[in-house]
Amino acid sequence: MTPPGFAAAQALAARHRFKWWEVLPWVAAIAAFFLFPTYLSFGTQVLITILFALSLDLVMGYAGIVTLGHAAFFGAGAYTVGILALHFGWNEPLSGLVAAAVVAGAIGFVSGVVLLRTQGLALLMVTLCTMALLEESANMGAAYTGGFDGMPGLEFAPIFGVFQFDPLFFRAQYLYALAVLLVCFVLVRALVYSPFGESLTGIRENVLRMHAVGAPVQRRLVVAYTISAALAGVAGAVFTQTTAFVNLSVLGLDRAAGVLIVLILGGYGRLYGAFVGAVAYMVLEHTLAKAYPTAWQLGIGIVLIVVALYARNGILGIAETLRGRLRMRRAS
Amino acid sequence: MTAVLLETRGLCKNFGALEVAREVGIRLEAGARHALIGPNGAGKTTLVNLLTGLLRPSRGRVLLRGEDVTHLTQAGRVKRGIARTFQINQLFRGLTVLENVYIAVAERMGVASSMIRPAGRRRDVIDQALRLLETLKLADDAGRRVAELPYGRQRLVEIAIALGLEPRVLLLDEPAAGVPGAESHIILDAIAALPDEIGVLIIEHDMDLVFRFAQQITVMVSGEIFAEGTPTEIAANRDVRAVYLGSAAADG
Repeated sequence: MTPPGFAAAQALAARHRFKWWEVLPWVAAIAAFFLFPTYLSFGTQVLITILFALSLDLVMGYAGIVTLGHAAFFGAGAYTVGILALHFGWNEPLSGLVAAAVVAGAIGFVSGVVLLRTQGLALLMVTLCTMALLEESANMGAAYTGGFDGMPGLEFAPIFGVFQFDPLFFRAQYLYALAVLLVCFVLVRALVYSPFGESLTGIRENVLRMHAVGAPVQRRLVVAYTISAALAGVAGAVFTQTTAFVNLSVLGLDRAAGVLIVLILGGYGRLYGAFVGAVAYMVLEHTLAKAYPTAWQLGIGIVLIVVALYARNGILGIAETLRGRLRMRRAS
Repeated sequence: MTAVLLETRGLCKNFGALEVAREVGIRLEAGARHALIGPNGAGKTTLVNLLTGLLRPSRGRVLLRGEDVTHLTQAGRVKRGIARTFQINQLFRGLTVLENVYIAVAERMGVASSMIRPAGRRRDVIDQALRLLETLKLADDAGRRVAELPYGRQRLVEIAIALGLEPRVLLLDEPAAGVPGAESHIILDAIAALPDEIGVLIIEHDMDLVFRFAQQITVMVSGEIFAEGTPTEIAANRDVRAVYLGSAAADG
C-alpha cells in the first residue's frame, strides 16, 4: 500500500517533465514550413506573436499582473535593433537580440519598480501611460527613430554570417524566428515550473498570504516583470529584423490589446495558450480579412464576446474541460 | 523563569480619530498557550496585524526575543519566527494542498527565488510539506485543490501553511471560525497537537476551546487590555463576566 499523499508528491515531482504532446507545436511549425512555402511571411508573424504572448503570460497568467502596456517592451526591442542598425552599423542579428533584451529589460525594471506598487485599475492606467510615453518619444525623436514614418528598408547581416534574410520567401526569417522562440520557450518553461514560478503563482492566487509566508513580493514581481519585458523586447527585435522595418505600430495600444486578446483566446497561465491563441487569432484575422475586407473586425469581436462569456479559460480551457469529462465518463 | 518570546510595549494604533489599540502590553512566553478574547471590535485582529507587521503601530514597540522588530516588514518578522493564520481563509485556492504548503516551506528554506531547477526536483521541500500534512491528517487530500475541500479542512491548511514556516510564535486568528460543529474536533485536535516549544497566541470566541487550551488569558475591550490571568482567575473575574462571558454564556 502506498502512503497517503504519495500520488500528490509524485504528480508535483513529475510536473516539469516533458510530455509527448509538447513536441506537437514544433512538429507543426516545421511541417508548416514545408507545406505552406508561400505563407512563411505570415508564419513568421505568428511565431513572433507567440513569443510576445508568452512573455505576457509570464506576468499576467502566472504572476497576475494585469497590464495594458506590454507593447512598450516589444517596441523598445524593435526600435533598439532598428536604431543600432541604421545609425550605428550594428546589424549582426544575434547580438542585436541581446541588446534589445537588455534595453527592454532595463525599461521593464525601472518602470516595474515604480508601477508594481499599484494594483488593479491604477496598474492598468500606469502601464498604459508608460507605453504612451514611449510611443510619443518614438514619434518625437525623429532624428533617431524616423518619427511617424519609422525606419523602412533596414539591412541586417546574415545569421552566423551565413544565412541571409530572404526578402521574398522568408525562409530564413521563419526558421530564425522559430529558433528564437524555441530558446525563449525553454527558458520560460523552466521558469514557471521552478520554485520562483510557483511563488509567482502564489502571488497571483493570494498576495496577502504570500506576504504572510515571508515572501519578498515586490522584488519577485519586479524580477518577473523585467524578464518578461526582456522577452517581449526580443520578440520586437525579431519583428524588426525579419520585416526589415520598424514604425510606431510596434508600440501602440493596438499591439498591446492584440497580444492580450491572443492570450485570453488561447488561455492564460498555461504556457501553450500563447501558441494556440496566436495561431487561432491570426488565422481567423487573416481569413476574415480576406473574405470581408471591410467588416472582418466584426467577426473577431463576436468570437471574443463568445470566449469572454462562455470560455473564460480560452481554447485550452475548453480542451481541459472536455478531457475532464471524457475521463469521468471512462471512470464511470 | 521562562524566556519571553514576544512582547509589546505601549502599542497604539489609530485610524484617524478611531483608536483601535491603546497602550497594549502583552507578553508571550516560550511554549505558552495564551488566549486573547474579547467582544467583536475589541481590537484582537488588529493586535495580530500589528504583531505580524501587516499594520504599523502609531506608537509603541514590538519585541521578539528582546529584539525590536517594530520597523521590520512582514517578511523580516516571518524570517525571525512569527507566523499567523487568518480569521478568513487566505489560501492559494487554485493550487493543491501540497502546493500550498510547498510554497511556505520553500520560502522558509530560502529556495523560493530559485529559477532553473524545477520545483518538483526539490524533494526535501516536498517531503517536509508532506510530513507536515501527515501530522495534520491532511495527507489524503494532498493532491486536491484547496477550493474543493470542505471548510473545516481548509482551516487546517491555514494552520499547515503557518507551521510550514517553523515558527517560534504562532498567532491563530479564530482557527475554528466558520467550521461546522461536526468538523470542529479536527481543529481542536490539531491545536492540541502543536509542538510544545512554539508559543501560541489564539484568538477565539469558542469558550470551550479557550478554557481547554489556554494556560493564560488576556481579555481585550475597546482596544485596551481589560484583564489578564489564568483561566480560573478570568472565569472568577466579575468584571469580565459582566462585559464578556455573561453575554457569551447567554449566546451559548
